[in-house]
Amino acid sequence: MSLASSRNGYAMHTNQTVTAPHVATGSAHGQAHDPAAHAPAPSLWPILLAAALGILVTGLYQIATDISWGKLLTVVGFLGTVVTALGWASTIIVERRQMDPLQTGVDLRKGFLYFLISEGAIFGTFFAHVYYLRAFAPHWPPVGAPHLATTLPAIGTLLLVGSSFTFNWGHHSFLHGKKGAAKNWLLLTAAMGITFLGIQGFEWGTLQNFDKFTLKQGVFGSGYYIMTGFHGLHVMIGLLMIAVVYFRMERGEFNDKYHFSLTAAEYYWHFVDIVWVALFFTIYLF
Amino acid sequence: MSTQEAVLTAPHAQPKAYTGLMDWLTTTDHKKIGLMYLIFAFFNAWVGGILAGLIRWHLWDPAHSPFNGAQYNQIMTMHGTTMIFLAAMPAFAGFGNFLVPLMIGARDMAFPKLNAFAFWIMFPPMLMLHLSFFAHSGAAAGGWWSYPPLSSSQFSAGAGENLWIIAVILLGISSILGAVNFLVTIADMRAPGMTWMKMPMFVWAWEVTAWLLLIAVPVLSGCMVMLLSDRLFGTGFFRPALGGDPLLYQHLFWFFGHPEVYILVLPGFGIISHVLPSFASKKVFGYKGMVYATCCIGLLGFFVWAHHMFTSGISPAAREFFSVASMAIAVPTGVKIYSWLASVWGGTIRFTTAMKFGLGFIALFILGGLTGVMLAVVPFDVTVHDTYFVVAHFHFVLFGGSIMAMMAGLYFWFPKMTGRHLSEKMGNLHFWLFFIGFLWVFTPMHWLGMEGMARRVATYRPEFAFWNKFISLGFLIMLTGAILFLINVVKSCISGERAVGDDPWQINELQQGLEWMTSCPPPAYNFDEIPVVE
Repeated sequence: MSLASSRNGYAMHTNQTVTAPHVATGSAHGQAHDPAAHAPAPSLWPILLAAALGILVTGLYQIATDISWGKLLTVVGFLGTVVTALGWASTIIVERRQMDPLQTGVDLRKGFLYFLISEGAIFGTFFAHVYYLRAFAPHWPPVGAPHLATTLPAIGTLLLVGSSFTFNWGHHSFLHGKKGAAKNWLLLTAAMGITFLGIQGFEWGTLQNFDKFTLKQGVFGSGYYIMTGFHGLHVMIGLLMIAVVYFRMERGEFNDKYHFSLTAAEYYWHFVDIVWVALFFTIYLF
Repeated sequence: MSTQEAVLTAPHAQPKAYTGLMDWLTTTDHKKIGLMYLIFAFFNAWVGGILAGLIRWHLWDPAHSPFNGAQYNQIMTMHGTTMIFLAAMPAFAGFGNFLVPLMIGARDMAFPKLNAFAFWIMFPPMLMLHLSFFAHSGAAAGGWWSYPPLSSSQFSAGAGENLWIIAVILLGISSILGAVNFLVTIADMRAPGMTWMKMPMFVWAWEVTAWLLLIAVPVLSGCMVMLLSDRLFGTGFFRPALGGDPLLYQHLFWFFGHPEVYILVLPGFGIISHVLPSFASKKVFGYKGMVYATCCIGLLGFFVWAHHMFTSGISPAAREFFSVASMAIAVPTGVKIYSWLASVWGGTIRFTTAMKFGLGFIALFILGGLTGVMLAVVPFDVTVHDTYFVVAHFHFVLFGGSIMAMMAGLYFWFPKMTGRHLSEKMGNLHFWLFFIGFLWVFTPMHWLGMEGMARRVATYRPEFAFWNKFISLGFLIMLTGAILFLINVVKSCISGERAVGDDPWQINELQQGLEWMTSCPPPAYNFDEIPVVE
């Protein structure tokens, strides 16, 4: 190993450079090498987002327990979360535009996949819950639980699975330089996702109003609503990502090696899709 | 990853610099965030320690106690919660943040802003937990495991339990984001030439820990969502009347809870693998074996959870499986312990404070490990389940293991973090007060438990009074040690002996750690040039 050494405290940046043997020097653009340029930029967004989320969660909790100023806190917290998240995102976009993403050495896709693993573990918990109860229950679905119609959810499943393909074709078109086609595929994907959500909403409404089937009536209802609800929330987040990607594509912010948001949104959409297939088989079919 | 990729250039990205307090609030420097994690953990360790003191005060006399049963339950619950979620986990996250980028020769973590966020998002839950003592009907009282029906709205009606659940979910977000960051950092930001099998042991320990966090913590979050929804929205996940099953909660909780034990101890293993060889003037023994053992412990950790549930009513086959699997973990752990001993064996030992804590770790952790194997034996576990024997066991693992390792790491890397040494004189006293105080407090709990003193209960049979008084006195020894440590840290930060050179312990000729190849403390960008490992 070789060493590179400097004598600076936390807050100081100097241009002093000690070059040691075997140390890779490199500045891809050939500028004068300034190590201080490598220090990450400070940012107010993380602490602001943490504060906003804290307020939002406190507000939501107070609404759930009927404390009067919960709504105010929720609104403040929600707006704060949206503003800080957008601010953070735009900062990153600006920062990353100034550097070649292939040079950071960090594979953003990897980070996103790790995150999806943890998401999968949360869904896994809900699946474990259903399968565990089924294994020990005398009847499944339990006596009194309504028979879930499968036709509409099956159509929803086809739509969602299909939308994974349309998203993929959109990505493909983009990589082949057909931006117009890519945007159309994205629109179609979003439309299919929205239709899926509509079907789910219709089903929730029917079950609540006609079958009087709520999440309080037993463990089947609890599991049904939490799983479809949590999944639906993910579809909404996925749609939000598609919207962001669509507008950024329209503004020409992506190029053939710099389009991580597009890739991330696609991964997320596939993930939501796979979870739904498992959910469809678990809750509706068997 | 090629050299060119590692050396990134961002000539236009230099934003405005903040100073003073704003500098710390906006920093994305992994070293500053690491230090803040450590301060956060230190503060909360004091809160948890004071709660431990209240427990010992309460148990001084079985008949005349300062608190009632409900208050005792809150104190006990919050002691465990604070120590695990707000002290131990952030402390190791602090070590990881400070050390991992330095050890792999990187400028920072892969996602510096996300890193800052993972730190700051711990504040809302911390406030919720500490302030919940003042909520209507007090803090959560269902234990850190929060089993239903004890934690159901029927038996824990107050807001404290809700706040506890929400806090745990938020802390989970911090852990998960931290884990993602560590995994990408270690995968993508290693200096050129640093292959996986050249990574320092502490980095390996964090790699495995991050995987455990990534997979185990979301299960806790999901479980907590269900528990909260049972309490607030009337669902029936864990309520038998609606077809739910409280036993399922235990399965899900311990599926998180047992890997959590390794989350709390593997980074400590990593620290010990640096401290012991450094002060024995040897290279770490059996590096490959150590790496495989660490991975093996992490993997096996997912298949032993039900050994916490031997008395909960699981099938005999399940008991057998989990008993054998739990005992199997003794094998890779044994590999580690023998490798540590071999790392010291025959070396020229320097008894610095860090080394003493390192050796103390081995002594105490072996004892905790042995009682762990005993508890994996079903008939024995059934006998001592929910007694002080178990309390003694996990304190030997988590204090004798985790905290001794943290102390070793702190005395070892303090010059790197601050540019000044901790006082060795005070450190020596601190070590002996902690070591003797710890044995004093927790050794008698073994036989108190075997004789049947139940844990989680606010009082005990009068014949246990002598040993409980004895234990409570021992708490004062540990408290003295903790006060001494606090004074040591504050004093050394201001006027401690300055660290000389990049390598103040004079160990790096042999150890070749990259963190000792830059100044004390390192500059914001860590290395003038990204080092190349050969």
